[in-house]
Amino acid sequence: MGSEGVLWRPEDLMLYEYDGLSALETPDAVVFPTRTDQVVRMATLAAARKIPIIPRGAGTGLSGGAVVTEGGIVISLARMKKILEIDLENQRATVQPGVVNADLTLAVADAGYYYAPDPSSQKACTIGGNVAENSGGPHTLAYGVTTNHVLGLEVVLPDGEVIRTGGKGWDLPGYDLTGLMVGSEGTLGIVTEITVRLMRTPEALETLLAIYDRVMDATRTVAAITAQGITPAALEMMDGFTLRAVEQATHAGYPMDSAAVLLIEVEGLREAVKEQAEQIEAVCGKNQVRSVRRAQTAAERALLWKGRKNAFGALGRISPNYYVQDGVIPRSKLPEMLEYIEEVGRKYDFRIGNIFHAGDGNLHPLLMFDARDRDQSRRVVKAAQEIMTRCAELGGSITGEHGVGMEKNELMPLIFSEDDLEIQRQIKSVMNPTGLFNPGKVLPAGKMCGEIRVQAGAGG
Amino acid sequence: MAIGAEAVRAEFAGIVGEAQLTAEAGARARFAIDGKVPDCVVYPNSAEQVAQTLKCAAGHNLAVIACGGATSLGIGNAPQRYDVALCLRKITKVRYYEPADLTAGVGAGMMLDDFQNLLKPDGLWLPLDPSGSGQATLGGVVAANASGPLRHSCGAPRDMVVGMQIATAGGKLVKTGGRVVKNVAGYDLGKLLIGSYGTLGVITEVNLKLFPLPAERQTFVLSTGTLGIARDLRRSILNSPIDPLRMVLLDAETGRTVYPAAQRDRADQEPQMWLEAGGTKSVIDRTWKELDALGRAVGAKVQTYDREGMRGAWQMISDFSHWLGKTYPGAVVLKGTMPIANSEEFLSLAQQEAQNEKVRMASVTQSGVGILYLGLLDPQSISQMAALIGRIRKAAEKAGGALVVISAAAEVKAQVDAWGTPGAGFGLMRRMKAAWDPKGILSPGRFVGSL
Repeated sequence: MGSEGVLWRPEDLMLYEYDGLSALETPDAVVFPTRTDQVVRMATLAAARKIPIIPRGAGTGLSGGAVVTEGGIVISLARMKKILEIDLENQRATVQPGVVNADLTLAVADAGYYYAPDPSSQKACTIGGNVAENSGGPHTLAYGVTTNHVLGLEVVLPDGEVIRTGGKGWDLPGYDLTGLMVGSEGTLGIVTEITVRLMRTPEALETLLAIYDRVMDATRTVAAITAQGITPAALEMMDGFTLRAVEQATHAGYPMDSAAVLLIEVEGLREAVKEQAEQIEAVCGKNQVRSVRRAQTAAERALLWKGRKNAFGALGRISPNYYVQDGVIPRSKLPEMLEYIEEVGRKYDFRIGNIFHAGDGNLHPLLMFDARDRDQSRRVVKAAQEIMTRCAELGGSITGEHGVGMEKNELMPLIFSEDDLEIQRQIKSVMNPTGLFNPGKVLPAGKMCGEIRVQAGAGG
Repeated sequence: MAIGAEAVRAEFAGIVGEAQLTAEAGARARFAIDGKVPDCVVYPNSAEQVAQTLKCAAGHNLAVIACGGATSLGIGNAPQRYDVALCLRKITKVRYYEPADLTAGVGAGMMLDDFQNLLKPDGLWLPLDPSGSGQATLGGVVAANASGPLRHSCGAPRDMVVGMQIATAGGKLVKTGGRVVKNVAGYDLGKLLIGSYGTLGVITEVNLKLFPLPAERQTFVLSTGTLGIARDLRRSILNSPIDPLRMVLLDAETGRTVYPAAQRDRADQEPQMWLEAGGTKSVIDRTWKELDALGRAVGAKVQTYDREGMRGAWQMISDFSHWLGKTYPGAVVLKGTMPIANSEEFLSLAQQEAQNEKVRMASVTQSGVGILYLGLLDPQSISQMAALIGRIRKAAEKAGGALVVISAAAEVKAQVDAWGTPGAGFGLMRRMKAAWDPKGILSPGRFVGSL
């Protein structure tokens, strides 16, 4: 890779101790391949010397998937950032893993296309990282998450073998290894090329901001919109605490004195968008909305979304640290779950901001704490764990889009039996028999239900 | 094979009960695959019984082929061994159904049609219209990742399954995924099972995402003259703002069969583009208007027909690979998949190849997604048919895709691999199969690369 493709000085390596969740160990080295054959050589070398390999994209992940747990070499895919092919007639693009999510949409926007999955970190996060985590985003409500948009992969396996899965067409014969790889968090192989589906930009879209005086009315509206047979492109909720922080940071025009807002987007044919926006306004009205505002211009719309997408950062301004969770519940349980989260906040004495992908029941409670206070650091993990446990009890999941990583692998028994986990272990050992690819992630080490693993400095 | 042995039969009977087990010739013949008849048919009542049956079968090294409505049972190579047909039709329990959450979890043996009837009163559906949907079970549809023309707008089972329960070859019940619509906890093993045709494990329960039914639907038919015009029309429709539910290109042969009236309007028999719009009246009207303009640009007029007739016609389009076999005994049905842009050119090549062999062809092309179903109606000699399939396969591969034999006479299948030559990554597939089914008792020899 040449000397410019390797970092080894301690001061450089320190920058790779953390991702979006947590800081842990210092890697032994960081390498920056630019081609698949370099990844192959790293895999072969690591296999021969029994050195763990930790693949990494932009390091924006929120479950500790890209941090080092037991030493090893970080393979940063950040310099494999070429868009290899844009094939509009086939509605496909093929990219290297280091391509930044938003850059792909930017590259095809003029032609009237976009790449649908849009994590909040889309201006920094890479498509390779999205594939590893099976990332979501606000606009995956109607169109599905990363796995619904990836058709083909080139993968370097731990023994250095390079395989191609899928392709540009659907339904290619054989086991769906593409589907298995997506969301495997770098533990089964390193993805070096990705073929994705591009979608047509809809001709019309409306962005509505519904403002509520009571949180309960907002959550009821979410259920009522679903019951009307409307699937908005996005249906997001923020509570009053969060939106005040967001407003101070972004000046998006969110009302400072409300209890909750819904950010709702509908898109498609002009006629459908007009009707659905009207229906949604009516549903909001029936659920005691204070007012509904429609973005009148593209700039207004962008500002509303900027507020939402920068919400984590905004909360970071008002608290020394925050710890964000990623639970999922059946969407009808939203009111009940919100009450529970409030209870947990009272019990452990934390302010909790709530940002939800409400439309699909994916919760992001943000627990405000001060990592310098050791007691708070301990309590915040306990509080988060109670929230996760409740999500599991309600028939939900411990992660909707951030991944398991090294944060929640010990919580997997909350939702999986020992037999369920055993088959996952077997599949892992088929692909990664030595366990050298991203060790200590996804699957629990122990058999009993353990605890969230984050260091005291979590989520700064 | 030892199933004739009373002891083994008694073991099965001990698991599922005497009444749920049959070795009667007529019953067995219904589950025959390429001339191979199982020694017995087992009808478990529960997922636990499925698991126990598999465990028992593995213990005696008996080959098991799982099935639901048997609508896709013939897809794949001839079984190397076939002792037990494991029919899941009796596992139909609704584990949960939450209209407000747009989710449901049901036994794999529930018929797709019954499931739709359950959802309909709540204004919901599972937007799938695979071939044989009147008989197909949810487990079978998922195991085959079977889709129909709705694929155009709604995707495949792969996009709708959020979790499942699987009975493993070792006799364990395991769960993958969950009940919620968004979930990235753990490996997505469900993806491996979807489209694996029962070669990795037996799906006993599926958890599904549900969708709101469109308010209204309307079909539009455009005669396209030539395949070149069909290609131009496909391009302009995909580049337009309209978003039809279904979009298929029927050749004259198929068009004539599914809805004769649509062909009578044209003296010269032409391929037709069939589209169905879904939504409110204003959406349908707008779609009509756009199609009218797009059709005019290529000289194709938009026709509409009576709603009832259209419903039946779409049913036949979905069921293409089924009625073909019934109407034309010995017919070969092929499925091609490829990048969208190549479908018309491939179709034209395939038609040419068939014509050279004096074989009549009928086809349904899902031109928006690059999936084609081809029927070879009056087969010639076995070697001729095998050679013809080989040439059509080559054309599909050249078009960047693949060709799967959906149905053909056993003698033809003996000469042509149902899936084609496996590509890079097959070594890993082999290892996957070995991990799930170490003894090779699940549908042995039938999948890609004779897995």
